[in-house]
Amino acid sequence: MLQQQALDIPAGATELRSAAARRGIGQPLTSALMLAPALLLCGVFIFVPASLAIVGSFFSFGLTSQAWVWNGVGNYAEALADPIFWLALRNNVIIVLGSIVLQVGMGTVLAAILDRGIPSGRTFFRTIIFAPMVISAVAVALIWLIILDPNIGMLNSIVKAIGLTPPSRGWLGDPSVSIWMVLVVAAWQYTGFMMVLILAGLQGIPNDLYEAASIDGARGLTAFWHITLPSIRNVLLVAVLITTIGGFKVFDFIYVLTQGGPANATQVLGTYVYLQAFNLQNMGYANAIAVVLLAIAVVLGWLQLKASRRAS
Amino acid sequence: MMRLASNLLRYGLSGATVLALGCGAAHAVDIKMWNLVVEGYPEFIEYAKAEYKKTHPDVNIVYETFPNEAYKTTIQVALTGSAPPDVFFNWAGEDSARLIRDGLALDITEYANKDGGFAKVLSPSWLAAFTYNGKLYGMPTEAVSKYFYYNKAFFAEHNLSLPTDFDGLLKLCRDIRAIDPSMTPWPLGNSERWKLNHVITMLNNRILGSAATADDYALKAPDDKLFTNPGYVEAWQKVLDLKAAGCFQDAPNATSPEASRSMFASEVSPLIYCGTWCVNIFFTEGFKDFAMFRMPPIKGGKGDPNANFLVPQGFQVSSKTQHAAEAVEWMSFLTSDAVAAKFAELTKAIPSNPAQIEKVPDTSEQYRWIVKDVASFSEPVNVLDVLLEASVSNAYLDAGVEVLNGTKTPEQAMEFIRATALAAKKKM
Repeated sequence: MLQQQALDIPAGATELRSAAARRGIGQPLTSALMLAPALLLCGVFIFVPASLAIVGSFFSFGLTSQAWVWNGVGNYAEALADPIFWLALRNNVIIVLGSIVLQVGMGTVLAAILDRGIPSGRTFFRTIIFAPMVISAVAVALIWLIILDPNIGMLNSIVKAIGLTPPSRGWLGDPSVSIWMVLVVAAWQYTGFMMVLILAGLQGIPNDLYEAASIDGARGLTAFWHITLPSIRNVLLVAVLITTIGGFKVFDFIYVLTQGGPANATQVLGTYVYLQAFNLQNMGYANAIAVVLLAIAVVLGWLQLKASRRAS
Repeated sequence: MMRLASNLLRYGLSGATVLALGCGAAHAVDIKMWNLVVEGYPEFIEYAKAEYKKTHPDVNIVYETFPNEAYKTTIQVALTGSAPPDVFFNWAGEDSARLIRDGLALDITEYANKDGGFAKVLSPSWLAAFTYNGKLYGMPTEAVSKYFYYNKAFFAEHNLSLPTDFDGLLKLCRDIRAIDPSMTPWPLGNSERWKLNHVITMLNNRILGSAATADDYALKAPDDKLFTNPGYVEAWQKVLDLKAAGCFQDAPNATSPEASRSMFASEVSPLIYCGTWCVNIFFTEGFKDFAMFRMPPIKGGKGDPNANFLVPQGFQVSSKTQHAAEAVEWMSFLTSDAVAAKFAELTKAIPSNPAQIEKVPDTSEQYRWIVKDVASFSEPVNVLDVLLEASVSNAYLDAGVEVLNGTKTPEQAMEFIRATALAAKKKM
């Protein structure tokens, strides 16, 4: 009886089950086909060049050389002994730390002000602050090149007008100032993006928390420190990681503003790879530096993925 | 039957037309030509293309230009790629020699020596610029030189004299500063590093002479002698002397070459050390009341005072071209008598074929002066950033930035250059 009931299958159900079974077998194929274009693009533009760079890092050759000469780990040994390599790495770290303070720090403060600090005009201010993000980095650098020009630039005029003296070697010509100016330019462009990212996190904080805190006397900065920051911890982590990755892969600002000068003062790994590869005809060594950069990027990318999952 | 015959005839004629057009199209040749962005050149190329088309209707010239710094990288990538230009600009010296050694520039000796080829028109001294191991690997179209340009009205107004030696140049800077302390006598746009390198090229030559520098530049001097001549340190010291005399503005390493040229063209500064290509630039910016003088000799210097900066440049052919004969034929046309006058008129360059110079209409006083002056050079002085091995050239460029910034002394600059030269020599 039970078996009969169990076997009492409605009409068409068998057909449905077959269709489901067919979908189960075909699903991996469909998925593969859907992923194929993206994988092909990644393969051609990321995996293949990265693999060639790794292989090339064990050889010595120039961009126009006819043959590659085996060099073993010689290029990596050269990097370890190269003071400019360590200077470039140090500059990348400075840019990362400086960008975290400026972009994430200022972004957080601006987001907090926009979220709870101003009664009206939020959309207007959000748009204005975010606007530099839509301009290309090269265009931004070219604009700032004019602003920072020691002969006709606006910044010199402003500094002199408030009674201060601009650097005599120029904002981008002074080795002790130029790296900080690069940070300022990057902050001008990217703080808006950080602000929008963090603002999204802030708007997810329930208002009840602030009301409850207010009853206990915690308002303003105290509420910001004890409620806002802990609530957006995961968003801040993602923001820090994005900034860190950006700081290590920076090239465009440096190339347009200073080309790594004056005399390597703003050299970073990206521009040093370019200099070695295209100016000094040292492609093997450039590949080795690029592999180091790749390793850093892979580690940071993995951390970002982990943080994003945690945040969601 | 009649209809069938008519249709067959119609289809046959159409097919024949298509085939004929196809055949015509198959004979058409595209020559891709790359050049720097240079005032006057696009107009000259358009003129040359139109003239060339009259006798070569099946040849299309595809002309593309690039900014100076970007070109140095772009051309290397393109030549190693699958679709390089057929004809491309290059400087004579290490830049062209490296491409020749790496097999990327074609040996065009045979094509150039045919009837109508440029080797039949240009003098041996010009051809030497692109001759390597006895073979021709390029065609020189012009040479560039460098001079001090000065504002004639300013100099006349303030009774300033042209310097006859280096000390006179220092005095000139001081005199200009005395007239107006806020005026920069000589704006130096060294943000791309090569501007000062051109100055150092001439200072090295004035102090040491060509013979004393040849082996060092070629990295052939013995290790214990390489770049040890104290004249090199003296040359850097002369740069500091220029700085101390107030010649330059405060931030030369943060000033672009374009900005420095604009300072002269807008008469903010009365003096500038600039290339012969700057004549056209100043004219375009609306300034014409200027004249030139050479880098003055240095007292006690071993260099020939009649030697001057002269860098031949021209065009090479990619070894991957499918149209070598057509490419060289087009190049030869550019230096032929037929268009030489127009070349000089539009580009204001010092042409490798000077045959038609006197026929060039409406040449400026400055251009005629340059052509006459260049003809009187006792020897050409090629520029360091084209002459030296890449890492040594880079060291010289960086040293210039540091000497101007005061972060390296002249002695430290030469220690740095010598160390780089020794390392480069070891790798060779």
